[in-house]
Amino acid sequence: MIHTVLADDELLARQKLRQMLRQEPEIEIVGESSTALETIELVRLSRPELLFLDVRMPGKDAFSVIEELSSDSAVAMPAIVFTTAYDGYALRAFEIHAVDYLLKPFSSGRLHTSVQRAVQQIHAKQVPALSQSSEATAAQYAKRIVFKSRGRILFLPVGSIRWIGAEENYVRICTDSESHLLREPIGRMEEKLDPQMFLRVHRSSIVNLQYVKEVRTETGGESVVVLLSGQKLAMSRSYRTRINEWLARS
Amino acid sequence: MHPAAFLGVGALLAILFALQEWVEVHQMSRHVSFMLLLEAWGVQYLLWALICWMLWWLLGSKLQRVNLFWAIVGVLPFSIATSVVEEMIWVMCFPNLPLHMAHMDFWPRVFFQLRAEMVDGLVIFWCAFFLFRAVGYYQRFREKEATAAQLQIELVQAQLHAVRANLNPHFLFNTLNSISSLMRTDVSAADLMLEQFSNLLRMSLERGNVLLIPLRDEMEFVEMYMAMQDRRFAGRVSQDLRVQPELHDALVPAMILQPILENAYSHGLSQIAGAGLLKIEARKEDSRLRLDVLNSGVGINPDRSPQFAGHRLGLTHVQDRLRLHFPGAHTFSIREVSPDKVLVSITLPLRLCESPPEVLTRYGA
Repeated sequence: MIHTVLADDELLARQKLRQMLRQEPEIEIVGESSTALETIELVRLSRPELLFLDVRMPGKDAFSVIEELSSDSAVAMPAIVFTTAYDGYALRAFEIHAVDYLLKPFSSGRLHTSVQRAVQQIHAKQVPALSQSSEATAAQYAKRIVFKSRGRILFLPVGSIRWIGAEENYVRICTDSESHLLREPIGRMEEKLDPQMFLRVHRSSIVNLQYVKEVRTETGGESVVVLLSGQKLAMSRSYRTRINEWLARS
Repeated sequence: MHPAAFLGVGALLAILFALQEWVEVHQMSRHVSFMLLLEAWGVQYLLWALICWMLWWLLGSKLQRVNLFWAIVGVLPFSIATSVVEEMIWVMCFPNLPLHMAHMDFWPRVFFQLRAEMVDGLVIFWCAFFLFRAVGYYQRFREKEATAAQLQIELVQAQLHAVRANLNPHFLFNTLNSISSLMRTDVSAADLMLEQFSNLLRMSLERGNVLLIPLRDEMEFVEMYMAMQDRRFAGRVSQDLRVQPELHDALVPAMILQPILENAYSHGLSQIAGAGLLKIEARKEDSRLRLDVLNSGVGINPDRSPQFAGHRLGLTHVQDRLRLHFPGAHTFSIREVSPDKVLVSITLPLRLCESPPEVLTRYGA
């Protein structure tokens, strides 16, 4: 069970969270607080692994709470999910490695994604599966991307990207259920993504190798990458050798 | 400018010059009647006042726009001719001047006078010319300001309109009713609907006072709006959005598509029971941006119902804004492409946004 604290100055907001979290079997709520000071006290006392934190609360704001907690070496920092009506703090939240940034009101579906990520992160910390060296090499590549899409803030783990398509100055990031259009050059994305995980197969596409089913030559002689979803992506000849190498490896 | 302004300035200058000459002549211990000086200078400057006023009245707008080439080739000879004619008239008025000199014929007197006064005449003409230009610049500056203010008002109205469109009784209460109904049967669907609704509101409020936005941002809003509508229409409307990749950065007036879509839903798609189609397409035509919104429904029937007034109102608003942003450079059309399909088309000059909006995107651990 993951010990969880809910911090929000509004009773109804806490009540909603509490009720929604009942659907999450791994979450056990150990306390609720309504001010910054209460939150600090509560975290010190109950040592939760997960904290749902409203950005604006009476007294100090959420970031001061975090600062105070992290300066106390006796307290292990819980994983943090921000819940707020303002999108202005998203970048700061991302930079201090918050798990997620939920804009109110959020649906249980959106909350569920957050909880899953928090659970993963907490378990990953408890079980240090990665050796130091591979962690160091992986560190130069992005593990998450933060962006705005359709009125929401997303901290998207790169693992959930199926493929990326270039559209002039933009890239379309496709996950299992959605696609997001970001103003980024595809070359920059390629640089930021771990080549062990992502492969550029065409001038205008990158695939997540986890979701590749096969590489096939069509009747016209063109090569395509077929994803597990059945989606086909054109592949340039120049990239063919790279994917063959990868296929040979796996 | 009012003719009295010209006359006033002319009279003032005449009095000053007459006074100056009178003082000068007196210091040289000679005597001239002040009235004669006043008459001579008065005719001189009142003539110039009349000329300047006529220039302003007849040629003002041309002089304000004239370029350097025409200023030299056209206005310069014209200024010389004007000065000569003015002196001729003046000489005609005063056959006895200059005083204390042997009587001269008309032309020698004109040349005598021109030698003394030609430069003064040119200076007056060109002062007036530059004054007109300055007034012109000022007026255009004021006009630009007024247009900008007008655009701001239109934008605020468009934003209010969009917020109202989200909150219009029809949409709002149906959405709330759907949520209320879902609360009993499917709580998470109710939640999702609330989430979508607030995201849509957040975006429409957040947009601020930007007049032109990249098409990509407009389409994002459109997608959200359509996702909301899709819930109400329980998926029976198939949506088709196509934007050519090079057009993501094309500038469009903020919220230009929403009223068209609102219209497509409320007067087309909601009138039919079966499957419907809503297709939005953005493509490049020569150096222009073309936006097409095609919806299935009942076509256009001009005789139908008072609803039609509202139907027109939203679209009139769209047209007003296009006119303000692209005067004379846009097209707008609404027509039936088949008995059950209506197509709204807009074309605009294609301009890409140069400085992309600040984006949040960052990479991290």
